[in-house]
Amino acid sequence: MYYQYSRRTFLKQIVGAATGFLTACNLRNAEQNKTVKIGAMYLLTGGFATYGEFARDGINLALEEINQTGGIDGRPVEIIFEHEGSPIQTARRLVLQEKVDFLLGIDSSGNAEALVPIIPELEKILMITHAASPKVTGSLCNKYVFRCSVNSPQNSTAGAIVAAEEGYQKWTTIGPDYAFGRQSWELFQKALQERKEGVEFLKTTAFPKLGVQDYNSFITKLQNSGTDAIWCSLWGNDLVNFIRQANNFGLFERFPVYMELGAAMEVLTALGEQMPLGQWVGTRYWWQTPDTQINRNFVQKFRDRYNTYPSYNAQNAYVGLHLIAAAANEAKSTDTAAVIEALKGRSYQAPMGQLILREQDRQAVVDVTWGKTAASSDYNFRVLDPIKVIKGDAIARQPSLTGCQN
Amino acid sequence: MSITTLLFFFLNGLSEGLLLFLIALGLNLIFGVMGVLNFAHGSLYMLGAYLTYTIAVQGNLSFWLALIIAPVIVALVGGAIEILCLRPIYNRDVSSQLLLTFAFVLLINDLVRLLWGNLPLTILNPELFQQTTQILGDPYPTYNLFIILITPAIAIGLWLLLKRTRWGKLMRAAARDPVMTGALGINVSRLFTLVFILGTWLAGVAGVLAAPLRTINPAMGDNIIIESFIVVVIGGLGNLPGSLVGALTIGQVNSFGILIAQRAQVAFPFILMTIVLLLRPRGLFGKSRS
Repeated sequence: MYYQYSRRTFLKQIVGAATGFLTACNLRNAEQNKTVKIGAMYLLTGGFATYGEFARDGINLALEEINQTGGIDGRPVEIIFEHEGSPIQTARRLVLQEKVDFLLGIDSSGNAEALVPIIPELEKILMITHAASPKVTGSLCNKYVFRCSVNSPQNSTAGAIVAAEEGYQKWTTIGPDYAFGRQSWELFQKALQERKEGVEFLKTTAFPKLGVQDYNSFITKLQNSGTDAIWCSLWGNDLVNFIRQANNFGLFERFPVYMELGAAMEVLTALGEQMPLGQWVGTRYWWQTPDTQINRNFVQKFRDRYNTYPSYNAQNAYVGLHLIAAAANEAKSTDTAAVIEALKGRSYQAPMGQLILREQDRQAVVDVTWGKTAASSDYNFRVLDPIKVIKGDAIARQPSLTGCQN
Repeated sequence: MSITTLLFFFLNGLSEGLLLFLIALGLNLIFGVMGVLNFAHGSLYMLGAYLTYTIAVQGNLSFWLALIIAPVIVALVGGAIEILCLRPIYNRDVSSQLLLTFAFVLLINDLVRLLWGNLPLTILNPELFQQTTQILGDPYPTYNLFIILITPAIAIGLWLLLKRTRWGKLMRAAARDPVMTGALGINVSRLFTLVFILGTWLAGVAGVLAAPLRTINPAMGDNIIIESFIVVVIGGLGNLPGSLVGALTIGQVNSFGILIAQRAQVAFPFILMTIVLLLRPRGLFGKSRS
């Protein structure tokens, strides 16, 4: 006996299979249409995980706001967080396997400089929210890469503007012994020279390697350098270490120390009353400036949710995600080319103030806050008083001088 | 360059070197007696610093109390590691021990993150040492001078323990020949536990002493362990006076390196280690174990 294979059965099966196949395809399509995926890459483990955690907090807050107001182009947004170690492989995996629509993040300048050149092959937008290397919106720039945070030339130039107002003639520096610390000192010298006559930069400088535990001899060296003032580009744990050991030597009573990233919240909270008073400190976002409704709302929401004040990295990451969402909503699409068009030259009201992603190098032009450390009975950390806001236009590099050709 | 400045560089090197010595001492004691290279030593040092924070800041108790309690807790953790995890694998290949102690690096680092978070923490100098001391007319941190005094005191205590007490004799005997020591009726495995506890206690003490000087953060253990190993290699594996010489040398090389050749300073400890390994492969004071 063999099975009678009638035409009717055959047709039934064909129709059934076809329906099934089409339904499956449709489901797949529906699923792809369901969420907009964004890959967020930060330092989430290791010694610098504080930065990644703050960024994640900022992103989750922005994510909630975006999804409550209709997501991107009517679709809910989903974030995939990844540690940014081996950034190239991670970015490739996010784009090729996880099918993310956008990339966001990068804390380390080294990782950013490695990742940026391969972004064109992935054909996705990378919104940098922290890494401050001038190169990623300079000689390495490409049309897919934007940066919504303050870069190191902007930071150093703002510091030089503040420093030029006081009478110190002789300067030396202490900074981390890698590209950032060296660049910071060069940029500061250049910017200060342009603004003040007769300043002298000493040959005796201090460049401890990243993660050094003992700063005593660097401090002794600074104290005996014959300087009037010190430019300090140390950051994070290293800055905390340096400040405490310098306190032990009484360094701050003898020299003004301009700390480029001294007003970072993680530094101020770690130090509490050990942060010396009356020193000029900078940051890439200060939660008290500007005094706008947008900023107050952001700080309030952040505090309600995380019980802490937003650090600059939290604000930057928050803004980065909002910028992508706003541009994609305007483009009514997540198509890379369309969103690039919407991001270029985009102006945005961020908590840190009005921000413009200028067309030439896709770098944010935005005001930078410096201030003098002051005690306040309302907070268990030092605050800034007086506060000095340096205009974004005054510190942005000339587009022709960034080296960005694309 | 004034005499005072040179003296300060010397004192800086001395305080850094002595603190390093204290860390290397425990590491080397454990290696010398038990033959175990304890990668987790740096993490236990970090644990000591975090416990100091909990006792002195969160508990609002005195730093001196932390100096007594924290190392004991660290030592108990060390004892538990030895009894529960190390003891069953002494018969196995050395690589098993290396893997195990490395696993504890990861475990302790993550535990610290879980309990205290990622944010850097600090504690104030003990009140007695918040001021500077005038040395030849220039201010010098009193706390550094305290480190310079207390570390040798601890080391002398340990030396007396090893030289003058029965336990010390047993430890030295076990270091020389554990099988023979066991054959003479000594409970070698209990002795090993004690040595491990003593070694990790030293890591805890170093952690407490470092807490007012250094930022307490989850990377502080990893930042110190490499230099501690360099000290041990330079001085000779298992040789305690060698550790002292090694640590003091590294301290001075680091300090004066900043003064003389800053760009190369990072490489000096490694260059020193290479030279020692080339000329005296067993370290400055190492004797061949034959």
